[in-house]
Amino acid sequence: MTPKPIRTVSTVIRHTSEPIPGIRVMVLQDEDGWELPPFRPGAHIDIHLEKRLVRTYSLCNAPHENDRYVIAVKREEMGRGGSIFVHDRLAVGQHLQVSLPRGGMEVDPQEMNIFIAGGIGITPFCSVIRDMEYRGLANYRLYWSSNGPACLPEMIQPAVDAGRVDIVNTLTAPIPDISEQLARHENGIRAFCCGPAPMLDAFDKAVSDWPEERFHVERFTPVRIASDPNAKPFTLVLARSGRQQVVEPGDSIVEALIDMDADISFSCEGGICGLCRTRWIEGPPVHNDRILTAEERAQDVMICVAGCKGPRLVIDA
Amino acid sequence: MTIRETLETLTDATWSGVVCHLHKTPRAFLPMKNFETLQLVAGRGIEGDRYMIGNEAGFYSHKPEDGRQVTLFEIEALEAIRRDYGIEIAPIEHRRNVTVRGVPLNHLVFKKFWLGECLLEATRLSTPCKHIEEILGKPVFDPMVHRSGLNCRILQGGTVKVGDTVRPV
Repeated sequence: MTPKPIRTVSTVIRHTSEPIPGIRVMVLQDEDGWELPPFRPGAHIDIHLEKRLVRTYSLCNAPHENDRYVIAVKREEMGRGGSIFVHDRLAVGQHLQVSLPRGGMEVDPQEMNIFIAGGIGITPFCSVIRDMEYRGLANYRLYWSSNGPACLPEMIQPAVDAGRVDIVNTLTAPIPDISEQLARHENGIRAFCCGPAPMLDAFDKAVSDWPEERFHVERFTPVRIASDPNAKPFTLVLARSGRQQVVEPGDSIVEALIDMDADISFSCEGGICGLCRTRWIEGPPVHNDRILTAEERAQDVMICVAGCKGPRLVIDA
Repeated sequence: MTIRETLETLTDATWSGVVCHLHKTPRAFLPMKNFETLQLVAGRGIEGDRYMIGNEAGFYSHKPEDGRQVTLFEIEALEAIRRDYGIEIAPIEHRRNVTVRGVPLNHLVFKKFWLGECLLEATRLSTPCKHIEEILGKPVFDPMVHRSGLNCRILQGGTVKVGDTVRPV
């Protein structure tokens, strides 16, 4: 049998813990403790749990802790199965295939950085804050709302001890007003948000007139694509192989790509993780992702959620 | 006469180079690390490297290649890329095993030469790949075209050390 190309980083689960019920922290390392591929603060990786079950999680450790990837996963009983697999089926010593890290957050080295987290949405900020503390940067504040006790404060203990973190338990206190939190700081701040959908919506509203480069939203749940009653079928064409297939309205474009053996990897299948980013040649596509800028969309598409305005969507695959 | 025969009969110019850095990594995607010495095994590869024949774990291991037992890269190419493109590539980042200075790698295809106490035979020029851009997060593909190093077979193994001389047979 022809060997398959290696497309992922091979890791071993070295340690797991459950600091509070329902949150599982896992430490992944190379089998020999070799350094892992580097990452930026706030980056995430895809974890290949089993065939067609790939999930994206933020890295919680700082980039200089380069012999490990630390993730924290909240058990979501009503989720799509990834978190339950992580909680119930993974054990120390098991091998896990993961992607190269992607993404990250660019903090402002001079101005104030405001991090707004909701619950398990703290995870991308763990690596950002650990990195800033490591580099001696104190120009940030974390506003962390949690529906109950905060889940991973020990991961950012130096920041908590230094008084740079405001934690609100929304079981006992009102949900904070994000606009008011941002207004506490001078103009020129850079703001970041990760949390549940209502929090992200409130954040979007609060920064709606800000320049794009001054804010960043990290999403954990795939965007829900509104069904378009006027959608028409289109032909999806793989430019490199010439293979093509008609995608009917309501059909899964991911299924079509798998049928055509497209050399594209998928993870979230919801337009948020960035793994399936592909160059488009003819279209134009209907962009349903939540991460590409207008400039990026002029050449690339998150194909897992894409549609097409014309009769043919030709992609560089 | 074929190109290969022509190249094999050319008289080597007088050149002498030096081993500047040595690198290996055990598995695909993992960062390369610097070493003071590498152990080369004739006909197989570098002990502990991802392309060691019989223990393949590299990005291209699904495409077996007898002539990829050790790879070399010119430090002058890194300097040229910095000069021409303003891109810094550290020796540890080009993902070849040996960084040399003063060795005309592009002229050594099909030739034998000494790497310290090891005898190598150059099999082909290395080609850059998009994979390295993914790993480094730097746009190095175009800058590395035609100066991406040399693939070699190990005819005589041994220990290669930083500072060793590289010379024609």
